[in-house]
Amino acid sequence: MLRVRPSAACLAFALACIAAQGFAQSPLLGLHDPPVRIDDPPTPAKVALGRKLFFDRRLSVNGTMSCGMCHVPAQGFAANELRTPLGVEGRSVRRNAPTILNVAYYERLFHDGREATLEAQVWAPLLAGNEMGNRSGQAVVDRIAALPDYAGLFESAYDGLRPDAQTVGRALAAYERSLVSGGARFDRWWFGGERGALTAQEREGFAIFLFRGGCAQCHRVEERHALFTDQRYHNTGTGHARLDAARRPVRVELAPGVFTTLAPEAVDKVGAPDVSDAGRMEVTGDPADRWKYRTPSLRNVALTAPYMHDGSLATLEEVVEFYDRGGGEDPDKADWLFPLHLSAADKRALVAFLKTLTGANIEALVREAAR
Amino acid sequence: MATRIQILPATLALLGLGIAAPVALADETCNSPYMTNLIKGQEDFVHVWTLGVKGLGDESDKLVTIDANPKSKTYGKVVHSLSVGGRGEVHHMGFTDDRKQLWAGRLDDSRIFVIDVGTDPAKPKLVRTIADLESKSGFVGPHTFYALPGRMLVQALSNTRDHGGVTGMVTYNNKGGYVARYDMPVANGGDGYGYDLAINPAKNLLLTSSFTGWNNYMMDLGKLIKDAEAMKRFGATMVAWDLKAMKPQKVFQVPGAPLEIRWSLKPGDNWAITAAALTSKLWLVKQDAGGQWQAKEVGTIGDPAQIPLPVDISITADGKGLWVNTFMDGTTRYFDLGNPEAPKQTYSKVTGKQVNMVSQSWDGKRVYVTSSLLANWDKKGADDEQFLRAFNWNGKELTPAFEVDFYKEKLGRAHHMKFTAKPGRQSALASLDGN
Repeated sequence: MLRVRPSAACLAFALACIAAQGFAQSPLLGLHDPPVRIDDPPTPAKVALGRKLFFDRRLSVNGTMSCGMCHVPAQGFAANELRTPLGVEGRSVRRNAPTILNVAYYERLFHDGREATLEAQVWAPLLAGNEMGNRSGQAVVDRIAALPDYAGLFESAYDGLRPDAQTVGRALAAYERSLVSGGARFDRWWFGGERGALTAQEREGFAIFLFRGGCAQCHRVEERHALFTDQRYHNTGTGHARLDAARRPVRVELAPGVFTTLAPEAVDKVGAPDVSDAGRMEVTGDPADRWKYRTPSLRNVALTAPYMHDGSLATLEEVVEFYDRGGGEDPDKADWLFPLHLSAADKRALVAFLKTLTGANIEALVREAAR
Repeated sequence: MATRIQILPATLALLGLGIAAPVALADETCNSPYMTNLIKGQEDFVHVWTLGVKGLGDESDKLVTIDANPKSKTYGKVVHSLSVGGRGEVHHMGFTDDRKQLWAGRLDDSRIFVIDVGTDPAKPKLVRTIADLESKSGFVGPHTFYALPGRMLVQALSNTRDHGGVTGMVTYNNKGGYVARYDMPVANGGDGYGYDLAINPAKNLLLTSSFTGWNNYMMDLGKLIKDAEAMKRFGATMVAWDLKAMKPQKVFQVPGAPLEIRWSLKPGDNWAITAAALTSKLWLVKQDAGGQWQAKEVGTIGDPAQIPLPVDISITADGKGLWVNTFMDGTTRYFDLGNPEAPKQTYSKVTGKQVNMVSQSWDGKRVYVTSSLLANWDKKGADDEQFLRAFNWNGKELTPAFEVDFYKEKLGRAHHMKFTAKPGRQSALASLDGN
């Protein structure tokens, strides 16, 4: 197992980052120590190289896409402006682009949990035909190696090693692991004991989150830290809803406040058929995993709309309404989903609480990404 | 009709040019007023900027040249095809001020191809490829190419930061050297979006319109329609700029993605018209009694509830009429602009299962229609016809002249059109002192 508690050197590096970002409040408050690879401890050179790669559009087959085009720093390192992203030549991607903030803490990656390490995960979008479109890993490596502005960077970061499939993956992973963001107002209140950090409404929202709402069953809060995920897979009924989506009329907003409704047949004339999505079942082959998706962390959730694995819910208010109804209509959904009968004030409080989970260092991370 | 010759010393000074080249009103009704060599008679060639299609022919984007002179032996035939390599969502083109080169852009990879059409328009040749738009400006998607004296003004659609719609304009010199960038306004009602631009030199006025960013124009149209978040990301403004200063002066609220802008070319007229694609409305930009520029809705195109999607317009040289193509219903419509405050549709004809660009000759006798809007917005299945269709117009009826099937010819998706005339003939046709 490569994930371990950080060594003194790793912690020193994390603290150095914090100092460099000028935080008044530790971004680690509310989080446990970030996992690191014992065989590949982070260094400033590795993180800087990974950041350069992450935002480099030349890593896609036609130079139009970088990792950062779907994980936009100013949009919570997600993509706020569309439900599901596009790849090269506008090819459709079927699942929402999740935030990569705190991705270091995930035990499994992607909505369906099909990868275990960031080093392996980063190659999937690089090679997917509908994402960055590269024909092979070697093609990517060769392209990077030929770029003058990368000369010596890999060698400096990795003890003389040249760009290859391993070092490219390691560098990207190093940057992604550096995107740790805690120290939210909630953390200051709950873990830091700062009584005035949350309003009465926000505190009430947290109580609903823990008890009447039952949210914490999956979005877990531990005694000394809270990642707000159980790292497991659940069927909330969202996947099932896609089955009917293609058969429903579509209400379209043509301009602010100007709507029309199109028949599905009219939409079909200009649209490719929807691609099916079976969720975790695609990984395990187990029908019991159909339409199950990994529980996302709720940290920074106010920044990462739209929500759910398919981006089908636009706002936190819609998400709360969804769970207040007991989730989707799927008869096979998790049996702990049932109507909550929250009042309007309860829902407002719950949303207010969710908005207290925005990390203290977001602006610094966005600035750093632009370097 | 007399054609004005206008010189803008201030603009030339602004652009750092010591020349005083004669500049003329637009030809073929939609080009820059700074462009020379009008073609007021019969065009010899129609050049179609064509999207390559995976699995079709050489799969590459290309400039297709079609003989458009009825007296030619190859009339109505493809006489040349210039592949530029790869597929990058080709879209629009614009002539340099001397009309010797075409600048042709791609909205996906932001490459700009400079093509010599002056030496031998029957055999266009690639002169250079400009690939630094993104790195120099941070903008993505070069859309409109508008000649300035010695330079090219380029309107972009998106940006490298997030592929959204906030963007700007860029100037290059005619040798392909990057000069400057100008951000679309995001203050005072501006949404930062861009699409087309058009200049009224007499009023020192540059008008811009607004569409959407890469995320939307590259998206499958069916997926886009179903994505409520993405549908919120369309432009809803036009901007009046001080041309000499290149500073935004006033933002007009024009909801529903106002696209092509056409100034009336009638001497003395100082109004422009545009069509909002999503709301299917015609908008007029004109000075009010107090001399203030205003934008107002003046007409409806088809049934907006069905989203006919007006995607291109072409104004007659006398400013009295307007062709409008609506993509979804494949219809070419003619509006009487006798009173531009109240345009009236007087004619319509279904010219294809999907239609996009419409271009007319200066004399208004010939109308050309192409089929492709955007690679991922075009219709699917049997409705995905790809063509150039030429029509004759007698004032009452469009009658077919010739047609090129771009799929049958294994060319690709037919998009923007530009006309040229053979050297020698061109100068004879291009009278600068009126006709």
